Amino acid sequence: MPLSRLCATVFLSILSVSAPANSQAPAKAANNASTAASPIPETTISINSSTPLSQRVVAYAIDAKYDPKTHTLDGAEVLTYHNLSGQPLDHFPFHLYLNAFQPKATWIREAKAMGTRDVEYDKWEDKEFGSEDIQSFEAGGVGDLTSKLEFVQPDDNNKDDKTVVQVTLPKPIAPNEYVQFKIKFHDKFPETQARTGWKRDFVLGGQWFPKVGVWWHGSWNCHQFHATTEFFADFGVYDVNLTLPQDEIVGASGVRVNEVKNPDGTQTLTYHGDDIHDFAWTASPRYRVAEDTFQGSMGPVQLRIMMQPAHWSQEARHAQILKQTLDHFERWYGPYPYKTLTLVDPEPDSAAGGMEYPTFITGGTSWWMPEGIKFPEIVVEHEFGHQYWYGMVATNEFEEAWLDEGINSYTEVKILDSVLSRDTSVMSFAGMTAGERELQRMQYATVADFDPMARFAYKFANFNSYGGVTYGKTASVLLTLEKIIGEDTVQKAVHTYFMRYRFTHPTGEDFLKTIEEVSGKDLGWYFKQAVYGTQVLDYEVRTFNSVPTNWYEKNAKEKKGEALYDSTVMIHRKGDFLFPVEVEVKFANNEKVREQWDGQDRWIKFHYNKRAKVESVEIDPDHQIHLDRDNFNNSRTEDAHSKPARKLENYWIFLSQCFSQFLAWWAI
Amino acid sequence: MNNDKHLLSAGLHIVNRHKRFIVWFWVLNLAIAWFGAIAFRQAITSTLDHSLWADRLLHGFDVPVLIEMMARPDTGSTEVPTKSSAHFGLVFLLATLVFLPGVLENYTHEGRLSCEEFFRACGRNLWRFIRAFVLFAILAGVLSSILFPAEGKLVKVAENSTNELLPFYTEIACLAVIFVVMTLIRIAFDLGQIDVVFRDQRSVLRSVLRGFRFAFRNLFSLLGTYVAITIISALILFVGVWIWHIAVPPSSILGAFLISQVMLILFLWTRFWQRAVGAAFYLREMAVVPATYVVPEPIAPTTALPEPVSSPPTEVPPV
Repeated sequence: MPLSRLCATVFLSILSVSAPANSQAPAKAANNASTAASPIPETTISINSSTPLSQRVVAYAIDAKYDPKTHTLDGAEVLTYHNLSGQPLDHFPFHLYLNAFQPKATWIREAKAMGTRDVEYDKWEDKEFGSEDIQSFEAGGVGDLTSKLEFVQPDDNNKDDKTVVQVTLPKPIAPNEYVQFKIKFHDKFPETQARTGWKRDFVLGGQWFPKVGVWWHGSWNCHQFHATTEFFADFGVYDVNLTLPQDEIVGASGVRVNEVKNPDGTQTLTYHGDDIHDFAWTASPRYRVAEDTFQGSMGPVQLRIMMQPAHWSQEARHAQILKQTLDHFERWYGPYPYKTLTLVDPEPDSAAGGMEYPTFITGGTSWWMPEGIKFPEIVVEHEFGHQYWYGMVATNEFEEAWLDEGINSYTEVKILDSVLSRDTSVMSFAGMTAGERELQRMQYATVADFDPMARFAYKFANFNSYGGVTYGKTASVLLTLEKIIGEDTVQKAVHTYFMRYRFTHPTGEDFLKTIEEVSGKDLGWYFKQAVYGTQVLDYEVRTFNSVPTNWYEKNAKEKKGEALYDSTVMIHRKGDFLFPVEVEVKFANNEKVREQWDGQDRWIKFHYNKRAKVESVEIDPDHQIHLDRDNFNNSRTEDAHSKPARKLENYWIFLSQCFSQFLAWWAI
Repeated sequence: MNNDKHLLSAGLHIVNRHKRFIVWFWVLNLAIAWFGAIAFRQAITSTLDHSLWADRLLHGFDVPVLIEMMARPDTGSTEVPTKSSAHFGLVFLLATLVFLPGVLENYTHEGRLSCEEFFRACGRNLWRFIRAFVLFAILAGVLSSILFPAEGKLVKVAENSTNELLPFYTEIACLAVIFVVMTLIRIAFDLGQIDVVFRDQRSVLRSVLRGFRFAFRNLFSLLGTYVAITIISALILFVGVWIWHIAVPPSSILGAFLISQVMLILFLWTRFWQRAVGAAFYLREMAVVPATYVVPEPIAPTTALPEPVSSPPTEVPPV
């Protein structure tokens, strides 16, 4: 134990050298940790490391019994909290996020107003109801505080929202001291909403236990559950005993360390997780499970793939993309240190697909999924990416969602481009193709001027804007950044960011400063517009024309290659986003000229005097400016080429004929 | 079974004898769709004709580029072109309503009608066919309002199952039932329409009821024949799309046009084949000697022909 303590102290000190000042000062924490007797274990059972990887603020020990018939859970939680705030703490907020699934809760209210994917029901039914009740609450040394619990609503003052509860201790916890909370709670899971709950005989246990907020930047950060937000919590150790019927096949965060068959027909499974900040689990009697191993740079990673029976034929697809993704993340961004990764193919038609929890992700597919449609691959890649951008680099998803969803969307584009090819990474089916980077751009383009990336997730104009900006715009901003500082430099910066801030809670500023530091460039002009602003980037080829120099001469004949033309090309900045652009002017004799424009003024004209007319003009000929909202006006040709329009028109006519024939077939 | 084959081949014989109707209707269908597509054409040409980015739609079919095109303010809402095409689709429906009596008149008679006879039959039966259409719409509407919600409820019940495929199979089974019911209705109305034309019947309701009576009496042979032809039409569509996909280069406008139109002609042909099957069935099972026509030749030498003109219509026994 003393040796491991020393190792931990040294390791945390090393971390602190590279960590920023505003990420909960690991150096101070290391010192603190060395002076106090730590009831938080320094286990490394679930990680490929001999020393802890994070500053462990919390330790959860939970005994939980799940009843699949009533979809309820009774739990007893012992939470050990280490006060690393540097000041006495006399009140503690806790998430009770299952209370979000109540008709007057903020989550439902927002979801109904914005129409999120989870709330498609029109009528409220009992099965939508979820709850998380604290039955008793004790704090070490002060006894029962159940009567002192009070619900608080720090974000919207909605008194009907019970997703955050706060307790005030009679005596503050001194800096560097530990406090232990003993909480008995009762959960009622809803039919799946927001990636938690039950569906038929399946259950996904997410946000299911009272979880303490994060002391961050000098105050508690414990937001209510919102329709567009995800989560934020401190790193620590989890020991969870899960008791449920013996026919249930179970998957969970961390590693399974024990399994007991109980005489009453139940089983108790014990899981342990190190250096994680949440714990999720799933159970269903019908999973089919495949085991695989990935040899990571820090050690082997056991892959557990839990598929629905009807999807079993797709197991190999899931395993392949998972391993390819792991391989790319390891090579490009940094090591995956955990010993396990559980991939869950959730119950069909449930709102449990496409979710990330530490070392535990859910995918999304259906029984009919042609090879050419890559949705399962996209979901698996994306959710695994969250092991890095959320799981290890644990940013505040309430306040800066672009740091997890957005960076993850960027790495998703890069990895899918590499694994599945650029223009077909989403689909290559029945002659139709779609690439991930273009879809990300399109997602953002429709809401380009609504919200800045750097906005609290629950303050976006609407759900589309949240999705388009947080995912699509961030990916497009980073792809466009490759044009400014180079693809390799962006990759190096993201790698540096990961290595520097893993197992901490960095901010957007930390990310942007890392990019500037790695690139050696002042990129404030770009970030100010792209990250903090709502400026729209849109350049267009306004006009061009070519006039014979001797146009005024009588009987002047235009001989190809001999006549001299005065040509003028006008480029127009339609949007308010200032960005340098490259323009390629192509002449009728196939000569090409590339021009650079700083894009500052509203427009620019280029003049030429050549023996050929201008044939076409194209802005950003290498297609590197992914932030440009409209790619159609980026180019213009002298002659109309009507084939694309005629092709679409032909399709349209065909569909119209089919429709009218079908109508006449049945009705007359 | 042999009877089914006879109906199929008898229908095929009739439809092939009057191929020109298929060509006419195809030309009408194409022309109407072309007019309906004008709004769409105008919407997209300003975006596509001078942009190099449009090449992604020509040399392949890049879905995000299509979405981007549709999202452009210059392209405008898809509502206008869609409505335009839908309205022109209704024009085709009305055109079918107008010209179908002439077709049926020809299908139930030997030889070829003159233009005057054709249009006379169209004009004489137009109002009757409109009434038949209204009757069909009412009946199909009532049945749809029962069958489709029932289907929805059954699928919803199936969704509670832990067998993921059960809702799909339930839906397919329900749709098959709905298809059979609707086909049966269609058969009855097809026979009713033929009856209206053949007997110059003013009471559409009586003809439709007669259609129902004979449709139910010969349920399996008629239904089997209609379903078989529908399957052929589905195969035509499937094979056509497959050939389009593998044999026609993405940038070949002419190739795409030709294969799509061949599919549509064959699609029309299958529907006319069903009509012709109805006509063949009618002549065998339901035909009466119309007041103003003479039966071209005796159907069977041993069968006594019904008395023409003044006597009440009697049915010709099956051949």
